[in-house]
Amino acid sequence: MSRTFVEMAGRRLPLSNLEKDLYPSYGFTKAQILEYYRGIARFILPHLKDRALTFKRYPEGVDKDFFYEKRCPVHRPAWVHTAEIPQGDGEPMKVCLINDLETLIWTANLASLELHVPLARVNSPGTPDSMVFDLDPGDGAGILECARVALILRDLLSQMGLASYVKTSGKKGLHVYVPLNRKETTFEDTKTFSRAVAGIMQKHYPDLVTSKMAKQFRKAMVFINWSQNDASKTMICVYSLRALKKPFISFPLEWRELEGLAELGDPDRLQVMHLEALRRVEKAGNIFQEVLVKEQKLPHV
Amino acid sequence: MALQGIWSGTISFSLVAIPVQLVKAIEPGRVSFHLLHSKDYSRLSRRMFCPEEKTMVSPDEIIRGYEIVPGKFILMTDEELESVSPERSRTIEIVEFIDMKEVDPIYYDHPYYLVPSKGGEKAYQLLVEVMRRTNKAGLAKFVLAEREYLVAVTSREGALALTTLHYSDEILLDNFHSLKNGTIEAEEDSRMKKSIEQMTEDFNPGKYADGRRKKLMDLLAAKAKERTPVEAPAVEEEGGDGPADLVATLEESMRKVKENR
Repeated sequence: MSRTFVEMAGRRLPLSNLEKDLYPSYGFTKAQILEYYRGIARFILPHLKDRALTFKRYPEGVDKDFFYEKRCPVHRPAWVHTAEIPQGDGEPMKVCLINDLETLIWTANLASLELHVPLARVNSPGTPDSMVFDLDPGDGAGILECARVALILRDLLSQMGLASYVKTSGKKGLHVYVPLNRKETTFEDTKTFSRAVAGIMQKHYPDLVTSKMAKQFRKAMVFINWSQNDASKTMICVYSLRALKKPFISFPLEWRELEGLAELGDPDRLQVMHLEALRRVEKAGNIFQEVLVKEQKLPHV
Repeated sequence: MALQGIWSGTISFSLVAIPVQLVKAIEPGRVSFHLLHSKDYSRLSRRMFCPEEKTMVSPDEIIRGYEIVPGKFILMTDEELESVSPERSRTIEIVEFIDMKEVDPIYYDHPYYLVPSKGGEKAYQLLVEVMRRTNKAGLAKFVLAEREYLVAVTSREGALALTTLHYSDEILLDNFHSLKNGTIEAEEDSRMKKSIEQMTEDFNPGKYADGRRKKLMDLLAAKAKERTPVEAPAVEEEGGDGPADLVATLEESMRKVKENR
């Protein structure tokens, strides 16, 4: 195993296997992955801050086995911020918080290509700061169908007085976020609300939308997964890499852009890769920023 | 109170073997309740329920699965589990002596006492006394209820205490400080004490691993390679109604959305 050390903010960080190609059919090495995360750091860090990280590690690359890791590894450097998460049965679990660039690079060096975080922060685990609709296409549907559903959802939420924001999942789906950022909000509220929305969407667009999780109901349909609105669930963090053949990013889109792309009808144009991601944030900044700050109240819950 | 032995066998090291019984050192003070049926006070039994078929599942239809990723399982039969379980043992074999001061209390799991069985009283008393004087703890491996434990045997209040220890990979602490060297003052030149000296080591918890756990994880890894895991059907969670005023507002909003499109 090759090892090299970098010095960051006075902290010595060991990096390993930098030359290893973790996306072999595309060609994207560990060094390039670290470079991506370094470049995106100031945009992704606010979205990771104080959230219990779930590592999804691909030590042998995206084509090989991966594993989830919720517990913060014991071999972590002393400067990695952690938090204790109460567990249902007994001992609390120590989790990592990616609150700075060094920890982000350390995490990426562990081949945790995908960074998954909950909708609540560790110091207020019962308070989701946003509500999410995870649009997941079944067989025979794709990201274009998701785009149609997302646009209807945006209009519906807007009629209810709620602003929403959309990002690609980096796979085949889209994620629609409704910022809340109020300490009174509970997962009970977001679940009740999102479940009712999914139900109404299914009722009015029965050929396009299903709110049933079972695979057999999802043929050529978009599944609105409202059950992600739960303290125990995590979502892929905006700007995180995905572990697919190519280094796709879960990337935020402007609604106008999504409308244009949906009309264009080219699903490939709806995917954003690493270089484009870096180019776009340099130009447009963090267009997902509002998700972290905008205060909204869910009516009727 | 009569002590009820939960295990009997011998404790041995070097050439000494002493018949003993293992007894609990603590009785948890928790008050427990039984669950009863309020109508007829029958004691309720636990049954397993299949949310997919919405029926009770009979014991012969219940199998074990290890979740490797959410919703995906590697199946494990009783025979396979049996194959990695340690053999029952009748001895607590002390493999080395350590200074109990070196053992971080975080390693302490559960305390027991060892009491002498018939015929072992004299040798037992000698061991208790020598261990008290040398201030050493014996480290041993020992199988109880299909699990292999790392245990520390110490002299306490004229008896031998046995504490099960956590394995080092169960301890969620890094920076475990290296342990200082233990020293022994030569006080008594008995054969037993010499043996203790010869076998004295620094407490090095990393040397001991939970053998069953490792074998089990190896077996799971091997099975995961050769067979694709089975997948649990998603439990039906359907979208639907909510509070009446929310649904009414959603319907009204949806009507407007459709008008505008």
